[in-house]
Amino acid sequence: MQRFGHWRRKRFWWETVEAYIYLLPTLIVLGLFTFYPFVNAFVYSAYNIRTRTVPGPVVFTSTEGVEDWVRLLSRGRLPEELTRALERRGVSPDNLWVRLREANRWVLKDEGSNDEYIVLRDGDTLKVHKAATGWVGTPVGWANFQRALQDPDFAKALVNTSVYVGVSVPVTLVLALVIATLLNQALRGRPFFRLATFLPYITPVVAITMVWGWIYDRHVGLLNYLLGSVAGLFGFQFSFLDWLNDARFALPALIIMNVWRFVGYQALILLAGMQAIDREYYEAARVDGGGGLEIWRRITLPLLTPQIFFLLIISLIGSFRIFEEVLVLFHGPGPEKAALTIVYYIFTKAFDSGHYGLASAASVVLFAIIFVLSLFQLTVTQRRVHYER
Amino acid sequence: MAVAGKEMEVAVHALRFLAWRAFLYVALVLTVAVMALPFYWMVTTSLKDVVQALRIPPVWIPNPVVWNNYPSAWGAAPFGLYFFNSFFIAVVTTFLDVITSIPAGYAFAKMNFWGKNVVFNLLLGTLMIPGQMLLVPSFVLINRLGWYNTYYALIVPWTAGVFGIFLLRQFFRTVPDEFWDSARIDGCSRFRYLFQIAVPQVRPGIATVALFKFVGSWNAFLWVIIMTDKVGLRTVPVGLRYFMLEVGTDYPRLMAAATMAIVPILILFLFAQKQFIQGIARTGLR
Repeated sequence: MQRFGHWRRKRFWWETVEAYIYLLPTLIVLGLFTFYPFVNAFVYSAYNIRTRTVPGPVVFTSTEGVEDWVRLLSRGRLPEELTRALERRGVSPDNLWVRLREANRWVLKDEGSNDEYIVLRDGDTLKVHKAATGWVGTPVGWANFQRALQDPDFAKALVNTSVYVGVSVPVTLVLALVIATLLNQALRGRPFFRLATFLPYITPVVAITMVWGWIYDRHVGLLNYLLGSVAGLFGFQFSFLDWLNDARFALPALIIMNVWRFVGYQALILLAGMQAIDREYYEAARVDGGGGLEIWRRITLPLLTPQIFFLLIISLIGSFRIFEEVLVLFHGPGPEKAALTIVYYIFTKAFDSGHYGLASAASVVLFAIIFVLSLFQLTVTQRRVHYER
Repeated sequence: MAVAGKEMEVAVHALRFLAWRAFLYVALVLTVAVMALPFYWMVTTSLKDVVQALRIPPVWIPNPVVWNNYPSAWGAAPFGLYFFNSFFIAVVTTFLDVITSIPAGYAFAKMNFWGKNVVFNLLLGTLMIPGQMLLVPSFVLINRLGWYNTYYALIVPWTAGVFGIFLLRQFFRTVPDEFWDSARIDGCSRFRYLFQIAVPQVRPGIATVALFKFVGSWNAFLWVIIMTDKVGLRTVPVGLRYFMLEVGTDYPRLMAAATMAIVPILILFLFAQKQFIQGIARTGLR
């Protein structure tokens, strides 16, 4: 007996080794590009991080004509020998200019590829380095969080994002439930309907947002025309809304577009859930004499709770990430910053103004919000969800 | 009398059924119309000249049909390069993601090992991390690796994904253990068994994973504009955005470009609808 246990344990450990070999690529990639950055997001939020241009690998060295080089570079001109050397590396001389002039140190920029080169003088030699980015961090404690929380823009971003999420998530879900119910009843044509409802979800955000930008056009856009026609049908006057330039309509424009984009996807998940419900429940209910609506409320809805909560969590997390749409629709934070979202704030703070620490602090706040909401939903889910089996 | 009442009841019932059917299909057709309208509008606008496009009331069917917007948009920006980049990145990423997800999904489905639940929950937890939170640290990391403005930055971080692992785990679970038992008795290594016997049985799952990965990669935008700023590395969405900044409100040409960006995804979807639907249906039921 003991022998047998020993053998089984040995097999278990062997299998453990094998399993981790199978998991190794995944663990390396996720560890390096998900877990490590995740930890760093917290670390960086306590630092003031700046970038510096530092010399990277040497491209070219020269010991001749050093004085000529220095004279030319100091005037912002480029020595011919240098442009020729860089041209061999595929840098067009027309794109090259001297971005920074210091004593014995010059930074050249290649507009074609956005690469930078650093020329350093060391006595009688000149070295041309490819520029690299160096990172300098100084610990600042909670200062980044204080700055973010005192920044009216961040407050605005929080409010805008919350309104966006608070409206679009429930609206999408309710509409998706209605559509799924309709699709579940349909006898024919389901594949066609499925195709049409699903398509918005997989099209590139940038492309489809461009289309909506055109639909939202104030004077010649389709939406205003359709709204005007419908209003006219009922004898109302309708003045065209300036969807993209009026602060009141910026968030509604985002909400309408993204409800449209995600409702089909959610409806399909709910439909799959509905079709997985055992027919017997319905038959039993019909025998008991329940009406259509009542059956839906008493059987379909409770048995769909796993899907509904799943959708709630992923759409909450997904909606807090809204960014691309803002950039493409408004080319900025929108009129009076009415479409400034948290991720937009993070993006501009980090990559436009270089406040990486501040952006990290804002990221941590974003994570905290999503984390708390998810936890809240999970605890509710534990109590309320009806699982079929 | 009683018979007539019964007939009446049946007739009312049939009428109510018909009315409900009619309502149902009207509602569905309306829904589809709303869902499809932006696409219809995109394609038809791309086939108009500017005068037609800006007319009010709108022109629903382009007349005459103008094809010129397509070559004109294609020539105005290096779209050939953008398409090459998008295809190249999407294909390589998808391939590598499938390669890493197969053994991982199999391990979670069929193997017993120390720390299995911990690792599984750790991976599950990543679903709660908003990717945008990782932008700054990832940007620093990519720079430190010297990958800024390289294909590596656009490919390597996406070569493993939790979605694929979870989906394949579900598929591998349906493969009967007897296959492995008999393969083992015949002296087959687990690795060979996995790729020669188990993998062919989960082909639909692999197709689904590959599809979603490909679409995700094709549509990626934010990551690309942060990790690169070279024209040579622009993907279709990024190129589209720059094109938009260049041509402004030349809507027919913009819509032609948008259509071109969507067409590959559309073709993929038409050919692999089943896999898409399957992927969707399975994400809901965990």
